[in-house]
Amino acid sequence: MHADSYPDGTVRALLSSDAVTPVTRRVLLERLAAQPLSPQFFDAETFGLLKAICARLVPQVGNGPVDLAGGIDQRLAGGRTDGWRYNAMPPDGEAYRMGLRGIEESAKAQFNLSFQQATDAEKDSILQRVQAGSAPGDTWKLLPSDRFFEEMLAEAAELYCSHPLVQEEMGYVGMADAPGWSRIGLNEREEREPLEKNEQKDG
Amino acid sequence: MGDLVLPENGTADRVHHPLEKMRRFPLTEPVDAVVIGTGAGGAPLLARLAAAGLKTVALEAGPYWNPPRDFATDEKAQEFLFWNDERLSAGANPLSFGKNNSGTGVGGSTLHYTAYTPRAQPDDLRLRTEFGVGADWPLTYRDLEPYYDELERFLGISGPATYPWGPPRRAAYPLAPLPLNGAAQLMQRGCAALGIRTSPAANAALSAAYYQEGVGWRAACTNRGFCQAGCSTGAKASMDVTFIPLALRRGAELRPDSFVTRLETDPSGRITGVVYQRDGRVERQSCRYAFLCAGAIETPRLLLLNGLANASGQVGRNFMAHTGLQIWGEFEETVRPYKGIPGALISEDPHRPANADFAGGYLLQSIGVMPVTYATQAARAGRWGEELKRAMRAYNHVAGINILGECLPYEHNYLELSDELDPRGLPKPRVHFSNGENEQRLTNHAERLMREIWESAGARNPWAFPRNAHLIGTCRMGSRSEKAVVDAEGRSFEVPNLYVCDNSVFPSALSVNPALTIMALSLRTADHFLKKLNRLDP
Repeated sequence: MHADSYPDGTVRALLSSDAVTPVTRRVLLERLAAQPLSPQFFDAETFGLLKAICARLVPQVGNGPVDLAGGIDQRLAGGRTDGWRYNAMPPDGEAYRMGLRGIEESAKAQFNLSFQQATDAEKDSILQRVQAGSAPGDTWKLLPSDRFFEEMLAEAAELYCSHPLVQEEMGYVGMADAPGWSRIGLNEREEREPLEKNEQKDG
Repeated sequence: MGDLVLPENGTADRVHHPLEKMRRFPLTEPVDAVVIGTGAGGAPLLARLAAAGLKTVALEAGPYWNPPRDFATDEKAQEFLFWNDERLSAGANPLSFGKNNSGTGVGGSTLHYTAYTPRAQPDDLRLRTEFGVGADWPLTYRDLEPYYDELERFLGISGPATYPWGPPRRAAYPLAPLPLNGAAQLMQRGCAALGIRTSPAANAALSAAYYQEGVGWRAACTNRGFCQAGCSTGAKASMDVTFIPLALRRGAELRPDSFVTRLETDPSGRITGVVYQRDGRVERQSCRYAFLCAGAIETPRLLLLNGLANASGQVGRNFMAHTGLQIWGEFEETVRPYKGIPGALISEDPHRPANADFAGGYLLQSIGVMPVTYATQAARAGRWGEELKRAMRAYNHVAGINILGECLPYEHNYLELSDELDPRGLPKPRVHFSNGENEQRLTNHAERLMREIWESAGARNPWAFPRNAHLIGTCRMGSRSEKAVVDAEGRSFEVPNLYVCDNSVFPSALSVNPALTIMALSLRTADHFLKKLNRLDP
């Protein structure tokens, strides 16, 4: 259960095999090939702030592999929702604009810096107070910071975990289900399921 | 469809009924019945009415999917399966809708239900009598039993040879239980250590190929573990591969992508036609009877929009959502929780726990989980940064256990129309929900028990995910018109040719999953309607 628990390339290899149905292959290959997007919904400055926040919510090496801010921007630009929102929150797009402004205000109030200039520890301290609902700033009088944080984090986590390279890291190969699974009990593994590096082959 | 040849590729492509062969009715001639919604409430009665020779038309807001072709094994790609029109969630415990609760498309929420199909127990229907709170049902277990029998046989429900709880069964489940996955084995181990009885659960997914009347052969479950994001093989008994093809073969017409906006009435208050939007056009179907089966949000929303059937003021009231606390843990063993029917094991031992300080009770269920669902729940529970990534890397060692528990109706839990309009120009629904004292106490009891079970099973880093699930009770069924929206047969007290059949009519939440009982009510409503029709309109 470490960062390098599973070998690289497992999901990618399965995507070119019969173990994946055509429709599953199509959506995962598209996601794998997606290039970082320039923002359509946010202006460049706000988008930069969102990227900096996402880098703390789900730290990645460099900017990859998953374009979290781009995924959020793309959804908002398309006006898509997930079927509900907290009554205490404005529509998603407005909530993001307000919430990002709020985080910038909190950064100023706590450290007299813009969020992007803060150190990682300072950024986390800002975000912890946003999460706890105790962040300073006028915007948070209009928008519950804890709800905003939860919604943004859940969206980032969903985008992150949906990416085939992240699924490789998790040892997830559930998409390779075209033949079905028969070894489904504890410690039961099928040939196409990866072993953890410290796991016994007969497991 | 009469041939008995098993599909060689193991998929259920053949149960997807081609609409070109479907019977069609003109819009202007009144059909006998329009059924609004094709989920667990609408589909069974649609098939029943069509089989009786009635001219029936079903209107479904979403598309008619072809699962083997359209359903990817990918949670994000499957987002189209959910009711994604925005709803506003208010109250102290605002509910998540969308993927937590509502489906769209032919089959409704059965497209993403887990297929967990325990029966209600007799005392579930007598909560007020037993505890002095909530409401009794205006019918008994004996009224539902023949329909439970019929449904389990028709759908091919997989279950244990002997079921440890509830009244003796008149017939065994038609198929053996589905195999236990890792989460089920762990719950079995934890419960055994504490002397809690468990059993393989009843699931509406096939443990062997099954021949279904009017439909044909459906192939056995391949243990994809993806029930909640759409079954691509037809092994799960969603309505689109069971009652809908049966209804079409019996002569019903199905109109997908048809979003109902209006129920038209004549001066006497009878419904004369149903107006809906389809492919950018407005159409109107004349009808003699209407069956509203759109679920516990859209059903009351439509009635409120139309100012119908609400002399009692009860439309939208008594909203309930099961207590559904989950406990997750990480285990030494490899679980790979994406495989197998997610809810393979059950215990109804806490159905009426001894010395409880709350009304009702709950069941325990083992749960496998898809990765994105797990990651977003861990995020909503407050993890981020390296902590979230660590939790995700442990995914293959994760298993869960959850409850499905009673929820009482309260004044403070209700649905209303908001001032905010959706893209169709209709008011978005606002749903107020706060757990009460009873739900808190029940959940506390369950959390203690589940943590003990998971500790006994060897869980590390256990964590709780509080939630409520299933939308229930906004058009209550009852015996008195001033307290309820429909009578015990599902007929509106006010609009004589309007029936409601879905989870909105439940007077109490039940301490079991609702789908099987919704289907049972659907068949029962159809039978009562047909009996009445023969008498009134010979």
